[in-house]
Amino acid sequence: MRPEDIVFATVMLPLLGAALAFCAKLLPKGRFAMAVEYAGALVGLGLPPLVLIVLFPVVFNGQSISGVVGLWSVGIGITFRFDGLAYLVNILGYTIGAAAWIYSLGAGPKGPAFTGVFLIQTAALCATIMTTDLFNLFVCLEIMGITSYVLIPTSGKPGATLASFSYLMVSASAMVFFLLGTYGFYRLTGSLSYGGISAGLQTISTDDTVLSIVSLALLVSAIAIRVAVMPLYGWLPDAHALAPHAVSAVLSGVLIKTPLFALSRILFLLPSGMEVGELMGIAGGVTAVLGVVIALSQEDAKRLLAYHSISQIGYIVAAWGMAISIGVDTPAGTSLMVAAFLHAFYHAVFKGLLFLSIGTTIDVANERNVYILRDGIGKLRDAGEKVPITFICFVIGTLSISAIPPLNGFVSKTAITYAMKGSLNYYLLSMAAVGTVASFIKLSRIYWPTGKRGRLHIELDDCLGTSSIPISRPPGLVARMTAQSLLAVLCVAGGLAAHHILTIVGTLFSSGGTNSAVLPTIYSGENLLKTGATTLGGVLLFFVAISKAGSTVLHTIRNRPRSFQGLFVSFSLGTAVLAAFLVVGKL
Amino acid sequence: MVERALLLCLLLLGFWGVVAKKNIIKKIFGLNILNAAAVMLFILEGNRIGTEAPILESDLALVVDPIPQALMLTAIVIGVCVTALALALAVHLYQITGSFDIDTIRERVKDAT
Amino acid sequence: MGKRKAWSPILQAGLAIGAMGIVLLPVFLCQTPWPTAARDYLVQHGQDESGAINLVSAIYLGYRAFDTLGETIVLLVAVIGTMGLLSRVESLVNPIGDDDNSIQTVSAFSLRGEKRSSHVLRTHLLEVVTGKIGPIVLLFGFYVMLYGHLSPGGGFQGGVIIASGIVFLALGNQQDNTSVLSKSSILGGIESVSFLLFIVVAISGIFFGKGFFGNPLADSAYPVGFIVLMNSIIGLKVGASIGFMCIAMMGGHD
Repeated sequence: MRPEDIVFATVMLPLLGAALAFCAKLLPKGRFAMAVEYAGALVGLGLPPLVLIVLFPVVFNGQSISGVVGLWSVGIGITFRFDGLAYLVNILGYTIGAAAWIYSLGAGPKGPAFTGVFLIQTAALCATIMTTDLFNLFVCLEIMGITSYVLIPTSGKPGATLASFSYLMVSASAMVFFLLGTYGFYRLTGSLSYGGISAGLQTISTDDTVLSIVSLALLVSAIAIRVAVMPLYGWLPDAHALAPHAVSAVLSGVLIKTPLFALSRILFLLPSGMEVGELMGIAGGVTAVLGVVIALSQEDAKRLLAYHSISQIGYIVAAWGMAISIGVDTPAGTSLMVAAFLHAFYHAVFKGLLFLSIGTTIDVANERNVYILRDGIGKLRDAGEKVPITFICFVIGTLSISAIPPLNGFVSKTAITYAMKGSLNYYLLSMAAVGTVASFIKLSRIYWPTGKRGRLHIELDDCLGTSSIPISRPPGLVARMTAQSLLAVLCVAGGLAAHHILTIVGTLFSSGGTNSAVLPTIYSGENLLKTGATTLGGVLLFFVAISKAGSTVLHTIRNRPRSFQGLFVSFSLGTAVLAAFLVVGKL
Repeated sequence: MVERALLLCLLLLGFWGVVAKKNIIKKIFGLNILNAAAVMLFILEGNRIGTEAPILESDLALVVDPIPQALMLTAIVIGVCVTALALALAVHLYQITGSFDIDTIRERVKDAT
Repeated sequence: MGKRKAWSPILQAGLAIGAMGIVLLPVFLCQTPWPTAARDYLVQHGQDESGAINLVSAIYLGYRAFDTLGETIVLLVAVIGTMGLLSRVESLVNPIGDDDNSIQTVSAFSLRGEKRSSHVLRTHLLEVVTGKIGPIVLLFGFYVMLYGHLSPGGGFQGGVIIASGIVFLALGNQQDNTSVLSKSSILGGIESVSFLLFIVVAISGIFFGKGFFGNPLADSAYPVGFIVLMNSIIGLKVGASIGFMCIAMMGGHD
């Protein structure tokens, strides 16, 4: 078996597992069917990490495995490339996928259909990051999309169906424009692979540069909808807040990042890629600040987390955009890319942890409003947790996202801010960090015992009389706790093993097998001082937010008009602005 | 040239359907029109370099480009699948809220949560 | 508390369409000649390498078979999602909104025996004609599916015709003589088993030394057998899936 075939095991094993799960659906319900379904999950989520371990030495030496699927000739077949970037995104996908599936055994939708679609989603994201062919990318993005549209309504909430419908409309329309971008590139170059397009674009005439720029703009904005940067974020809060908890964790953790890293493969090779990176970097910085401001105003716990995902993806896009605009071959560019990926990975881990632990808490308490829900620890204890594992996991997640040492969030945020010292994004991201601390203090209030905190802020349209909230024992406690503890351990490990992980990731991103990124010292005095200042600022901002004037402002932000049309207007205007920016840059 | 201008109008018509129409079934129609316009553009333009269908028989006339046709097979099937799922979501929304109008659905869903 | 009035919807729609129209003008109106490299390569080598004279089949089941796998997966997930949503629709007891509490999912073409007499569109003419045509359409579908490598056709086209044949059979049963092909368990079974077979065939290329998704029969006498096999699997899968979805949307499943 050659290395090319082993590489495809990361895609085929989840598909085989899904096929087994669907066959389990045909069998009569019972022990045997469940065994087949679990066997499918084991094949799909348990075996690929072993394959990744086997592939590690190959990728660590700087080699990349590339070729054509089916051994056809390069001009016609589908090319693929498995290098450090693909390896890292695969690790991200399988870690979060395994943890979320284990959680769903306890909490969320169960059954062979759910397992099968979940495994197909995992296979799709592994294929997305490995492909270097435009139409194959289209198909893989559509698979990722359709699995999301199917998994979001499984929570049974009425809003989830509307969220899935809005996401479907926006995403499917965006993919038609992606197809038009593919048309543009095929017409100009006669090839669909990134290498072929890049070679073909060197020889086009000047009349055609406008077409190549417009095609690139269409591709980028179609992918930017999936990544949910400002102003294209409208579908995300509803979708992530109303999906089942395991699905929210995977959506926030993996599905908004994989298209970004797949896009970087395109942007490395095409002209005008660097300008795209620059514009998206600025958009990322703005997203980070605006996302956290809107997050501070939310009253639904999961919606607050969803807006935080938008803000954190702003961090990642800011670093990634700057990496591409500088050029990934330079040491500065590589360190920015390392920081961006590390933040993507750590964000997936701690955001997954937060979604799962908040999910357990709101399931137990039957209440999602952060202004009303109180005494979370007590309710969890009544529901069967002698040791408050969920609360500890929540604390670890909060400290990670607020970038408190020695957890992993501190490492990745410090790496990002170090790498972009002095630019506009540096200040935007610092402001966003202050807002993050404030909103998580607000979220953690759901755990305080009643009576300890000051006045409760009661909204006019919330139902009162909440003292008799029934406490339900969450089913599947063991599965939930296992998944949450797994992610919590990863958070802590990521923080403690900072230097090793930075070196490994840096090597994987550089070419040639040795690390060429500039690695920051994470635990320096300056960084710790900055963290202290940010935390203090966050506490102050929190007190401003719960004051009278602050809460009026937040109320206005929360009830701003949002419509279905707004999604499309922002998509069109975003594409037009991007195309105009690129055309002006070329002139 | 005329055909392509008409296809652009068709595409924008589909996009208008998705954006401006209030009834969600009409939005799904708009999505279908959008897909159809993109598919037709590929096939139409791919047909300009030949005269025969891409099946190699004994005569040697120039065949058209088979790549857009193969790509559009995939695109059409994906479009049909997404339409089917969208229609199922629309039926579910109608059952929950009793209306097909997007604004009414939004109001009723918000009141129910 | 109240919402601020949003921007006028006409302005929003006009902005969206205008912006997109301007961006798409270069795409639709460009005059670059269409590239011929792919067509020339395929005319020269397509038949030798894959065995099919239908070049489109050679592409989507040979050179770009991975895309076909992706498309099959999209179909599978769409059917599961649709079935999941439609089965939940039937079991909803407390709809919000009070326009029409007696909303029925069964449509005018209901396939359920007990509803048939009350639906005016279910005429005798419809039942007789579709019942008689159904098997012929199925046969035609199988022909299109199996001859995909020699004439215009293939797995997807044949599959859709098979699906319409299944729909005809479901519509055309008289005296509650339900065809075995309308049962959801049979159709679901065909679909899942064909998916498993497709994956196995895709992986089998590795064991024959041709790489992932390679043609394991490339060195034997009939390399086109691979394409025929794949066309059959895809045709059965697409037929079962789309037939399943149509029957479910018509309200008749057990």
